[in-house]
Amino acid sequence: MGDASAWIAQKDEGEEHGLYLKGVWRLPNAQAISDALRGLSLRSGGRFVVDGAGVEALDTAAGFLLVKRLADIGCTPATVSARGFEPRHKRLLALVYERMATPPSGARSEHLGLVQGVGSATIRLARLLRSHNAFVGAVALESLALVRRPRLFRLRETVAQFEAVCIDAIPIVALVNFLIGVVLAYVLGAQAQRYGANIFVADGIALAMCRELAPILASVLVAGRSGAAFTAQIGTMKVEEEIDAISTLGLSPIQVLVIPRLVALMVALPLLVFVGDVAGVAGGMVVGAWQLDIAPQVFLDRVHGILEIRHFVIGLAKAPVFAAFIAIIACRMGLLVARDARSVGENTTSTVVQCIVWVIVLDAVFAVAFQHLGM
Amino acid sequence: MDRVLSVDSVVTRFGSQVVHDGVSFAVGRGEVVALIGGSGSGKSVLLKEMIGLVRPTGGRIELLGCDVWRSGVRELNALRRRFGVLFQDGALFSSLTVAENVAVPFRENTSLPMDIISPLVGFKLALVGLPPEAGTKSPAQLSGGMRKRVALARALALEPEVLFLDEPTSGLDPVGAREFDRLVRVLADSLGLTMFIVTHDVDMLLSVADRAIALSAGKVIADGPVSVVRGADDPWLRDYFAARA
Repeated sequence: MGDASAWIAQKDEGEEHGLYLKGVWRLPNAQAISDALRGLSLRSGGRFVVDGAGVEALDTAAGFLLVKRLADIGCTPATVSARGFEPRHKRLLALVYERMATPPSGARSEHLGLVQGVGSATIRLARLLRSHNAFVGAVALESLALVRRPRLFRLRETVAQFEAVCIDAIPIVALVNFLIGVVLAYVLGAQAQRYGANIFVADGIALAMCRELAPILASVLVAGRSGAAFTAQIGTMKVEEEIDAISTLGLSPIQVLVIPRLVALMVALPLLVFVGDVAGVAGGMVVGAWQLDIAPQVFLDRVHGILEIRHFVIGLAKAPVFAAFIAIIACRMGLLVARDARSVGENTTSTVVQCIVWVIVLDAVFAVAFQHLGM
Repeated sequence: MDRVLSVDSVVTRFGSQVVHDGVSFAVGRGEVVALIGGSGSGKSVLLKEMIGLVRPTGGRIELLGCDVWRSGVRELNALRRRFGVLFQDGALFSSLTVAENVAVPFRENTSLPMDIISPLVGFKLALVGLPPEAGTKSPAQLSGGMRKRVALARALALEPEVLFLDEPTSGLDPVGAREFDRLVRVLADSLGLTMFIVTHDVDMLLSVADRAIALSAGKVIADGPVSVVRGADDPWLRDYFAARA
């Protein structure tokens, strides 16, 4: 294959440079043909005669390589003549010459360096946060409009969303919280047993689950389940131009899509947190009865004694705030989807990450604030 | 005549719904054939059966001397390198740029180095009439007509012998559609391609195709040169051609 004479032979005939092509000039041989053409010692100037009598087959890829090589040394149709080609090969070469006049750049997608990458990611993040802000404002305005005209509220859609985000999530939320209750009881129990302070496990479980863990766990699960679903649903609607259809029907996408999801999630999450509270305490109770010699009756009495209502309320009160963040971020990311398949996946991933980070940041803010308020 | 494609008494049923009830025809090398028929007449399904995506209930489809539904995976993949398909909406890979889309067949099916592939990709884009700056764009940034051209460049990448086009002018404005017709005709004439076009578009049929095959109620109701099919005595065909006024 490395032998150039297999494809092309050069014979100078007086003033003219003769190029005799032969063999199968097709894409599978493009590498060899390219090498053969590059190996020719062609000088610009003078007339060229290309003889195609020996060509068995010719396609546009090989034709392009030939025409480009000749064009690169400054040949024009006036200085090159073709002979011996089959008519269809001649037509093909004519088309190749005509079309290659403006070669588009075949540049690959840009790869940013580290500094550029960090910089552009920071700018994107800042823009995203600012646009989230504007979106929160838009949702607030639309909500006010709803308060003034409650007839416009979409109860049916809200109830359907509530079923998907709350009822369907109960088993998984209960299971995860129960297991965390079990794990926590083991860890606390192992320490408490050394001091004969087994009963304090009930204190730890009840406080930790109700105040912190159940809200966080329920929120993280809801962010992964419903947040991702919201973004994917709304994003796919965006790709299919359904959002535009909603707008042109004189409806507000925020009222039709965002507010029902927001309301459903804000109602659902406190309920899920309550389910988590019960499941977590139950998990601790099972381990208490089984490993730590605390009878369920005693465990519950203890929980009843130490768990002041404020701890329980604080846990529940955080939930609607988390829910609002999750719903707003998820819907916003759905509406930001561009018109391609990859964008739906990217935005869904981004939703889950943003939601989980925000839930934890907010929880830390709450912890500090409540501490200072003496709660 | 060198036979490139033959469809022999193909039957397709989805449940109780009969889509094709014994469809037969053959296509010779270098022919530009248009398959016409109303919506729901099974044109697109037949196309998918020819390119090995949907299995017909019965019958035989032979493409480039290979029985599509009785060959192994290896033969079918070898066959797939010899034909190109232009899907209805282009089916460009949205995560790649235009140039990368056209480079995919080269990178996956040949061992050519990038310094040969890049100019070839540029040439393919120019061949279908795209401007130089199109290569770096992502498919989402293109108009419908440009997407079809990119898809055509990708379909032409491996120098196919047969090109299947599914509704190539749907979604294009009349001017864009006629330009696309001209491009298809030029490629057919200059490259000696065999083309099989599924279309609704009467203008495309008249300006591009040598031959028309009309499908209705699961059967071929007319098959011949466009002028003959145009004069055929069938109520659906009369309405079809009359609709153009």
